Amino acid sequence: MNPTPKHFSFKAMGSFCEIQLFDESRIRVKNVVNQLAEEVARLEKKYSRFREDSFLTEINSSAGNKLGLAIDDETQSLFDHALNCFEQSDGLFDITAGALNKIWDFKKALVPSQAQIDVARAHVGLNKLSCKDSHIHLPRDMQIDFGGIVKEYAADSVARLARSLGVEHGLVNLGGDFSVIGSQPGNKPWAVGISSPVSESGVMAKIELNDGGLASSGDYERFFMHEGKRYSHILNPMTGWPSNGLRAVSIAANLCSVAGSAATIAMLKDESEAKAWLEDSGLACVYMDSEEKIGSAGLNSKN
Amino acid sequence: MKDSASRNIIALSTTALALPGIALADAPPTQSTISYKLSNYQEDDLSRSETPFGDLERYDIDVHQFQLVSPLGRNMSLHVDANYESLSGASPWYTSRSLDGEPIVNLSGASGISDRRTELSIGSRYYLENGSFGGNIGYSEEDDYRAIYFGFNTEKHYNNDLTTVSAGLSYSSDKVFPTDAALFNRVEEDDKQSSSLFVSVSQIINQVSSFQSALSFTEQSGFLSDPYKLRDFRPDDKTQIAWSNSYRRFFVSANAALHVNYRYYHDDFGISSHTSDLSWHQNLGRTFQIVPTLRYYNQSAAEFFTNVDDFLNPISEYQSSDYRLSAFGAVSGGFSVIADMNSWKITLTAERYLANDKYSAYDVSLPSTALVKYNRISLGIDFRF
Amino acid sequence: MRQFRTTLLMSICSLMLISCADVRAWERGYLAREEMAWAPDALESSLNDHIFFSKEASSGGNNAAGGGCGCN
Repeated sequence: MNPTPKHFSFKAMGSFCEIQLFDESRIRVKNVVNQLAEEVARLEKKYSRFREDSFLTEINSSAGNKLGLAIDDETQSLFDHALNCFEQSDGLFDITAGALNKIWDFKKALVPSQAQIDVARAHVGLNKLSCKDSHIHLPRDMQIDFGGIVKEYAADSVARLARSLGVEHGLVNLGGDFSVIGSQPGNKPWAVGISSPVSESGVMAKIELNDGGLASSGDYERFFMHEGKRYSHILNPMTGWPSNGLRAVSIAANLCSVAGSAATIAMLKDESEAKAWLEDSGLACVYMDSEEKIGSAGLNSKN
Repeated sequence: MKDSASRNIIALSTTALALPGIALADAPPTQSTISYKLSNYQEDDLSRSETPFGDLERYDIDVHQFQLVSPLGRNMSLHVDANYESLSGASPWYTSRSLDGEPIVNLSGASGISDRRTELSIGSRYYLENGSFGGNIGYSEEDDYRAIYFGFNTEKHYNNDLTTVSAGLSYSSDKVFPTDAALFNRVEEDDKQSSSLFVSVSQIINQVSSFQSALSFTEQSGFLSDPYKLRDFRPDDKTQIAWSNSYRRFFVSANAALHVNYRYYHDDFGISSHTSDLSWHQNLGRTFQIVPTLRYYNQSAAEFFTNVDDFLNPISEYQSSDYRLSAFGAVSGGFSVIADMNSWKITLTAERYLANDKYSAYDVSLPSTALVKYNRISLGIDFRF
Repeated sequence: MRQFRTTLLMSICSLMLISCADVRAWERGYLAREEMAWAPDALESSLNDHIFFSKEASSGGNNAAGGGCGCN
């Protein structure tokens, strides 16, 4: 076994993506990586909010269509997972929150009026749409964004594909969403550095992964200060206002999809509630609170 | 608040694991399933013209099946099967000739028979990166019969999991000890051994279809006769070969799956058979499924089959009037309705089976008069947790 | 070994007189459905095997035989 991993990087899903594989044959690795990148590209093409020809755009343009739109199994399962996230977070994690993002302009740093927020909130709520029997009925003016789900799912899916292609040790990083295939050779865990939201190059913690996935959520660069108050880009769909929660959280779980959903939910909760929730979740996590203090849970017991 | 977070995470994992790119094709079960199926099948009564004396009623059988499939650690699964079967009625005892020369069936005992069968089997499977292997051991007991068996099989995936090769072997040691042996001059106790071997190859053809072909050999030796039949002498050895083929095809526009199975069988008693069945698994929304099934079976007679027992024949010569050794055909049709509600699944099945010597494509020089017809109904319940 | 596998696969395909497409892992959604399994209902299959075994002369299929019973 070659002890040094082979690195490949590419840009997809609006992020820096990286794949590391351990294998003797460079040609074989190259072949595997091409197939893995193809899977990422497939999911991006299908679920990108920014592509005119994506299936997600087709879903969003079906809003108001009384007949609904037929969806495939994969999309149905993503909806099932999104609905599960919505229910488990009591409505905090909502893939229909897009209407709120439109009125909060983080570039211009403007706070919208309560009236604007109320109007937008009328078009938010995953419970307002029906998605079952392989058909989605999206009400008028509602939008869906799989942003908080698809990249994590892609990481898991790529890792699964790599396993099926015979990879025994590897790491997939899709813009901070990690899914690993086994440990490094010789039972050496993968060490993932968690960058700090406050310093450009600082690493606030390190999480070791032997299997499963890791995902992060945070208001890293996207926030603004207005009249001395800090507005995070993470919007609470229940209120329409930015959440007053943690600055950042990174979570390790059996799947990147689970880690990502949990991280999103943790970020949407109020700070103290989020800390308690993370503690109880049993997952390994590192977080930074509003006072820039770093905390963690479940790290010693993990692996 | 306490514990609710971990419950949130477990709940999130269930839908995350169901995402198609994540679900593993051949993976140990992540959930436990308990299944129970209650079935009743009743053979149609014989007509008075075929059976001038005794009871007209044939078997009425209730079958209770239990199964538990559960994950065992990360890479293993546990399978426990328990069956209980209770049977009442009568079975053909011997076939004689009536005054006008027609064969007539004589059923055993005016009061009929009642019997129970209890079976327990335990197995486990270990999953590797590219395959799995497993074994099981089981025990079956009746008032007059006992079997102990075990098996081992292994499965390996090739070619990016497009091709799967499996192989296995099993062995069964059976003992028969007929009731009222002394009274009816039956054999007191005897035994039989069966060894069986199979290999199968399955291949994914495209995104919606796959094919499997399997070959199995079974070697039986020992007491292979029916102790309850008046004149039943069969060879002590039997070699069986079966070649099975299965095809599965999913029709996306119809949201349904087609199953086609065909099996060729041959043994050295001289019996050959063809079994074909077709079923259509039609989804109705995400909850319901209906499954119509059609089956056609067709066998030739054993070399030593006789439709009328010859009491003058020496014991050294093989003969049997067992209708199962005659040439006949059988047609059966079934219909299942399945309701799948995430953790619960309920299956209702009804089936009608008709055996007739006229349905056989083989030469039927000696038709058996004891061929069965039966109705079966089953109720199955699965619970996943 | 790789050569052998390819040859084996090709002969299986030609036996079936159909071409086998390279179906990627993520394209196996339909194949992974429960109703596409070789035996979607294990209890139904074992019950059928048991009943047909007790009514007909044939047995054996794509798995090794279980234990015998006094029914045949």
